[in-house]
Amino acid sequence: MIMRPSETYSFRANLLIIWSEVVKNVKFLLAYPVIFVFWTIFPFFWFIPFIFQGQAFVGGLQSASFEQFAGTPDYIPFIVIGAILNGYVLTSLYGVGESIRREAYRGTLDYLLSSPCNKAFILIGKAMSESINGTMYAAIQFVVGILFFGIELTIDTIMPIVLIIFLLILGLYGISLMLAAVSLQFKQAHDLAHTLEYVFYVFTPVRYPLQSLPFWAQVLGKFLPLTYALVAVRSIMLLKQDVLAIYQEIFLLLVVDIALIFLGFYLFNWMEKRTKSSGTISHY
Amino acid sequence: MKRKDEEFRESRKILCPYGFTLANLKAEMRAIWESNVKEWKIELTYPISFTRQCIEPLIFLLPFIIYGLVLVGGRYSESLMHLVGTGDIVTYIFTGYIIMGFIGTSVWAMGFSIRKEQWYGTLESIYVTPTSRISLVLGMALHSVVHQGIAVLFEFSVIYAIFGLALKIEGILPALVIFALMMFALCGFGIFVSSLALILKEGWIISEGLYSVLMILSPVAYPLTVLPNIAQQMSKVFPTAPALIGMRSFLIENYTPEVIGNVFLHLLALDLAWIIFGIVIFSVTDIYVRKRGTLGKY
Repeated sequence: MIMRPSETYSFRANLLIIWSEVVKNVKFLLAYPVIFVFWTIFPFFWFIPFIFQGQAFVGGLQSASFEQFAGTPDYIPFIVIGAILNGYVLTSLYGVGESIRREAYRGTLDYLLSSPCNKAFILIGKAMSESINGTMYAAIQFVVGILFFGIELTIDTIMPIVLIIFLLILGLYGISLMLAAVSLQFKQAHDLAHTLEYVFYVFTPVRYPLQSLPFWAQVLGKFLPLTYALVAVRSIMLLKQDVLAIYQEIFLLLVVDIALIFLGFYLFNWMEKRTKSSGTISHY
Repeated sequence: MKRKDEEFRESRKILCPYGFTLANLKAEMRAIWESNVKEWKIELTYPISFTRQCIEPLIFLLPFIIYGLVLVGGRYSESLMHLVGTGDIVTYIFTGYIIMGFIGTSVWAMGFSIRKEQWYGTLESIYVTPTSRISLVLGMALHSVVHQGIAVLFEFSVIYAIFGLALKIEGILPALVIFALMMFALCGFGIFVSSLALILKEGWIISEGLYSVLMILSPVAYPLTVLPNIAQQMSKVFPTAPALIGMRSFLIENYTPEVIGNVFLHLLALDLAWIIFGIVIFSVTDIYVRKRGTLGKY
């Protein structure tokens, strides 16, 4: 008979699970440094065409029409900020959402799921390590944005931006948990991650203001945490607004986060029990 | 007994066509076709994934159009009109973006064909057959071109229904000739990329990198003249820039090419250069990885 120590379910034990996942993923990243270089550099390649497109269509660096929707005529800082925050979506969808599937490929999923711990904390560990990576990429991109793309960052705006990014990451954890839950049952998480990426790509104000979309698309966009995070960060950085002026966006971001995390945990625990009882966990 | 052994060995000889003969050409064509059929069978086994991939080009096109409409505040851009003689941003972006899927054919479908066989566990089996490795790559390319064709038709239908497109019908045939010339050069480029995947293994980063660079150097959503001079010069090495300029000249009313020159001759020269370069590099890499014994390594 195996005695399970009571601390297994204690707070300390759960912290150890998270820490071990973070260490494991850092080791993976250090083993493949080219992946770090990729995620740091390539997001620039993805938004540079939009800068050239803007120059060709308006013949300059400002657009009066753009100002009517976005509140600022400078479209370059607008899309640079959009691209940097969208990086968190990509790392969470492909990093965390598909992590369960990757464990299955490596042959370690069965061991993880049969270990005497709350599996959601394994995912939190994976999500945390992806967030650390994402923040490193974002920090480098912010520096490049400040040096080359006209982004202005003052000391007093750093803390509110960090808070908003933290709230964004929380919301993305919820979505990642849901994605991981679905991949436990339906296996092919890649298609689902791509589909979610499309939803973020079109219905959130990454490249253009939300107001430029049809009403139904704006409503859909308001269910996504990235929408509020982008509006809030741009209000602070581009429109030079005070945090108090954007309390509504921050509050709504928090509400969306709570809903997504609750749904994520519920769905993951439910799917885990379902796949365990059906014996389909290690199926491909 | 010795004689019997020799007879036995004789009967096991397999005669395969080889060299520059009609029989060998027919055999390689058959291999290309079978490789294409195999890809279709695998793809259609996952209908949801297939549908998603057909919708994907439209999803990635929409932000370019919406962003353009927001920037200009309507469909017609004075600045674009000044640069290329037409201000219709929707038609301009659409005619540019349709080739992006075909760039994907060369850097992803062809570039990853060898790697995919490795994932399936069939690479070694294919390597010991007397078929040319390039036929395998071309089979994947054939599948991808048809796949991208379906995606472009869907893209066209949706954009035409929502925005309408001002295209010259009589320009479709010459535009298709230019497109075919571009595809030959992209095939050569794809063969080159697949040779990189033989060595680098985690070649998805190379494929993604090349795709992103080609996206910037091609006049998909902007004329070449807005690029820095060095980027304009670099774009001449790839077939997408002259092909897009040529296709738009035939398809869009009043379009003024931003670069002067004979597009057909430019593309023919690129076809020749990329195909020879791709095949030479692929052959050298193929010999190198087999000598080193790294073919089956992950």
